Formats: sequence, structure tokens, C-alpha cells
Amino acid sequence: MNSVIKVSNLVKKYKNVDAVKGINFDVKEGEIFGFLGPNGAGKSTTINMICTMLPSTSGQITINGYDVEKQKDKVRGSIGIIFQENTLDEKLTANENLMLHCRFYNVPKDKRHERIQEVLHIVDLIDEQNQRVEEFSGGMKRRLEIARGLLHYPKVLFLDEPTVGLDPNTRAHLWKYILKLKEQEGITMFLTTHYLDEAEVSDRIAIMDQGEIIAIDSPTALKDELGGDLIELSTEDNDQAIQEIQDKVTGADVTVNGDTIHLKVDSSDAFISNFIKKLDIPITTLNIRKPTLNDVFLAYTGRNIQTNDE
Amino acid sequence: MEGIIAIWQRDLIKFLRDKARLFGSFTMPILFLLIFGGGLSGTMETMMTQNLDVGGDFNYIEFVFPGIVSMTLLMTSVFSAMSVIEDKDFGYMKEILVSPISRVSIAVGKMAGAATVSTIQGIMLFALIPLLGLNYDWISLIQVIPFMFLLGAALSGIGLLFASFINSTQGFQLIVNIIVLPMVFMSGALFPINGMPGWLDVIVKLNPVTYGVDVMKKIMIDVDQLSMTVRETMGLNLTVFGRQVTVFEEILFILAFTALVIAIATLSFKRANA
Ligand SMILES: Nc1ncnc2c1ncn2[C@@H]1O[C@H](COP(=O)(O)OP(=O)(O)OP(=O)(O)O)[C@@H](O)[C@H]1O
Ligand SMILES: [Mg+2]
Repeated sequence: MNSVIKVSNLVKKYKNVDAVKGINFDVKEGEIFGFLGPNGAGKSTTINMICTMLPSTSGQITINGYDVEKQKDKVRGSIGIIFQENTLDEKLTANENLMLHCRFYNVPKDKRHERIQEVLHIVDLIDEQNQRVEEFSGGMKRRLEIARGLLHYPKVLFLDEPTVGLDPNTRAHLWKYILKLKEQEGITMFLTTHYLDEAEVSDRIAIMDQGEIIAIDSPTALKDELGGDLIELSTEDNDQAIQEIQDKVTGADVTVNGDTIHLKVDSSDAFISNFIKKLDIPITTLNIRKPTLNDVFLAYTGRNIQTNDE
Repeated sequence: MEGIIAIWQRDLIKFLRDKARLFGSFTMPILFLLIFGGGLSGTMETMMTQNLDVGGDFNYIEFVFPGIVSMTLLMTSVFSAMSVIEDKDFGYMKEILVSPISRVSIAVGKMAGAATVSTIQGIMLFALIPLLGLNYDWISLIQVIPFMFLLGAALSGIGLLFASFINSTQGFQLIVNIIVLPMVFMSGALFPINGMPGWLDVIVKLNPVTYGVDVMKKIMIDVDQLSMTVRETMGLNLTVFGRQVTVFEEILFILAFTALVIAIATLSFKRANA
């Protein structure tokens, strides 16, 4: 498959921070490419450089074959962006916002009306199209922004935290639209998020932390690489429990995360009954599950991806 | 071109929807008309015609009205450039900047928007002409409109320059208020600026508003009908380097000034990352 985006040795240095430290990746045509990382990882900085909105310190980016530094206009015409912050004109109606976008992107005059109705239909805002955006709820605004990003049939659609600040219901709803889009239009999507469940829809994920990409693969491959099952347990005395585990138990990777002990094992079925018998310390809680992307992140960085929020 | 029109139209629609702004911006010119045109006109006339034998020929209100229209143009067009800062604040500037519109179009569109808004406000002031007991030739009133647009464009460029390095609307308002009134006083809008002391004269001659006001007056007031003394009194014999400038030269100067600010504004949009 062709690569629509190629990024090589991309660096961004702000005065005090090295926000992006020489990253490399390709995004293939038609895929959903997820960019996952905690707050401040450098996701928005990367997206803004790819979208011509921020000059890079060094490195090279091409989109659709165009160089981001030298062919800004061509690049701008090939992409659609849903920024992390709201960028609608709230004093105008939904329809007026979309019409302006058509004009900025030179959508042929005779196609404008039809396309506006088409994207409004996708995001279910047909009936609200003549209302001013200031009267919209947060979710409606987000949907309108997504609709707007599609109007000029971009090769790549960038979504920087498309669902941030929305309630779970609205989030789920919005995802329905985004996936519908991907199905109908076969558009390439570049998505950043720090919600793990959202990253799961991606064909491939790049995990970013402190300006570096620490892993790129499909969500399944990333989790499989970690392998096996995860056992989370807490006991009446964790220190002593760890001591006992180290003395008596084999075939488990032990890590401590707050007041739970994590055991990574090849297969929990074979492991668990024997394990419980061996442990003298009473177990207070026990949970067995498959690894998630957070475990992947944890395995690479030793930290949870979500720090304080939710 | 399409991009310019889109940006221009958006600012215009927003202006027309904002009733408070539409009428609020009239308070200042009307206040000035009341003070200078009504209250002070007698005093001003006596002051300006001291030791001169012009008799009833000189009408201060006729003199000051084009000046106050120019002042309105200056204020509205400079303040309209604040839309750039508002667009940055509300994020819309990103939508504009990330689109393939050329940066020149953004600058020109913003300027055309401000110029149109200020021209509309200027024309609305014309409604006061009968109330003030003035009678300008209606042909000259129509002739002055394209010039008002040009002047509005040029002066909005000053606003765009400030907007390119000021990031808050409050800061912008503060700076503009500090700049605008001296520009009005040092332009001949409210009183003639002939016979200024040397350093003030330099400021007057560098001030683009001076030439705007002068052209406005020369178009609106039927200059040829006036005696040399009255013209002198009204300050209608503007000279630069001891040479009397023509309307044509003044318009050229304003055009050049406009081109210069467009170039600077384009550069600032080029390096803007919103
Ligand atoms: N304009 C700026 N000037 C200086 N430092 C900045 C600027 N923008 C971002 N940074 C810094 O660069 C780093 C990366 O920020 P960035 O916004 O790219 O993170 P992010 O991954 O998008 O985070 P979030 O999930 O919160 O959106 C942070 O340390 C941030 O403080
Ligand atoms: Mg971000």
C-alpha cells in the first residue's frame, strides 16, 4: 500500500522543551492511524507540524507526495483537520460555516450545496443547519467540525482528540460517525487521543511519550507482543506476598503498580490454581484479564497513560 | 479571489449582525460633531479667522464635517482589524490559516472588510448633513465614497499591523486608543494644521490621516468657489517641502501606503501559526 504521510527525523524544540525528538513513521493510504500518548507527549505539536501550522526545527514531512515546507498550499488542499480546540465561527450558522469552508478550499460552485447537505447528513445535523453555532451543544459542534473537515474531500483527515470534553454517550455517538465515514469514503485518518478505547479502532497505533515514538504496530500485535494474561491481585501484606512469590512461584513477571501486584503469565488457566495454593498471605482482591493498550504503555514506560484525569 | 471575497463577506455579515457595534460606533463622531460643530463652532470660527477679513464666508461646520467623517473612518477601520485578534482568540484563525487561501488574500480580505465597514459608517454620517444645515453637492458626496473606501483600507492596515503583534483585545484597544486620537488631532481633521511648530509639522506630514482629511475636504467642499484667504484659513493649501500637493499626489501616497501595509500584513500572516 502507498504511504500518504511520510515523516522522517522530525524534531521540534521550543524554548524550554524538546517537544518532539526525531520521530519517524509512515501512514498508509486508507488506514486509521492512531497517535496515543499522555498529556504533553507531543501529539498536537506533531500534528500541527504535519498540517503546516507549525514550522519544524528539523526533519522532513511529505503528504500525498508534497513537501510540507515547500508546497504548503498543495498540502493544505489535500488535508482536513479537526483541531483540538473549537475553530467554528459561533456567530454564524452551521450552513454558513460550511459554505465559507467550501470557498476557502475552492470547492466547485455547482457542487457546494450538494456536498454541504451530504456532510450534514453524515453527522445528522440537517435539521439544525440554519441555527447559529453558539446555540449548539458541545457534541453538535464537534460533529459540525468533523463535517466541515470532510467538505473538500481531503486525502487525509486529522483528528486531534476529536472527543475531548464530551460525555461517554456523545463520544460513542461521534465514533459511530467517524467509522461510518471511514467505511463510506475510505478516507485516511490520523487520530490522536489519550483514550485507550478510542485508539483501539485504529489499524495501527504509534505510542508516543515525551516526544518519542516508543512503539508502532496494530493494537492486536502490540498486545500480543506483551502476550499472555495479566493477573492483578492485592493482599493483606503486599511486601510479604512479593517475597513469597519470588521464593515459590515460577513463570510470572512481577511488577507493582500502586497497591496492586501485577503478574504477567503465559496462560492464567494453567497458572492460577497452583499459584493460589502456594501463597500463604490472604488475597483480598484478584482479577484476571487480557492485556490492554495501557499495559502496553505501562510495559514500555513504567507509567500509566492516564495520570490524573478520569 | 474567491478567498478574499469569502473573508470580506464574513466580516461584513458579522458587522451587520452586531447591532451594538453598528450603533455604538456612532457615539464618538456624534459627540465630536456636537462639541466641535455645535458648541465650539463660534469660538473656533473666531479663533481661526482672527485678524482676517473673511467675514461670513467661513463656516467651521462645513470645515469640520469631512474631518469628522475621516475620524470615523480611522476609528472604525482600525478597530475592525481587531477581528483578526478575535479570530485568533476564538480559534477561527486556524481554520483560515490551515486552508490553501494565499496569505495575501487573507490580508486583502481582512482589509477590504474593515474598509467596507468603515465606509458604511461614514456614509451613515451623511444623514446628519441636512440636520447640521450643510449643503454639499451630492455629486461630490458620491465622488468621495470610493476615496473613503481607499482611506478605510489604508487605515485598517494600521490596525492589522498592531493586530499582528498584540494578542489580546484589551491590549489592542488600549494601544489603538492611545494612537488614534493624536492621529486625529495631528491631521487637520478638527482644526487647520498650518503654521505648526517644526517638530509637530513633521508629525503632521508623516501622518497618513492628514492626506486623507485633505482629500476629503477638497472633494466635499467646493474649493474653487472659495477665496484664497478662506482656503488658507481652512488649511486647504497643504504643502510638503514647501510645495503644494495635489489631490492626485495625495491619493498616490495613500495607495502606496496601502500597498506597503498589505505587504507587511501578508508577511505577518505567513509566519503566523495561530
Ligand atoms: N507553543 C508552545 N511553546 C512552548 N512549549 C510548548 C508549546 N506548545 C506545546 N509545548 C510543550 O510541548 C510539549 C508537547 O505538547 P503537545 O501539546 O504537543 O502535547 P499533546 O501530546 O498534544 O498533549 P495533550 O494530550 O494535552 O493535548 C508539552 O511539554 C508542552 O508544554
Ligand atoms: Mg494535544
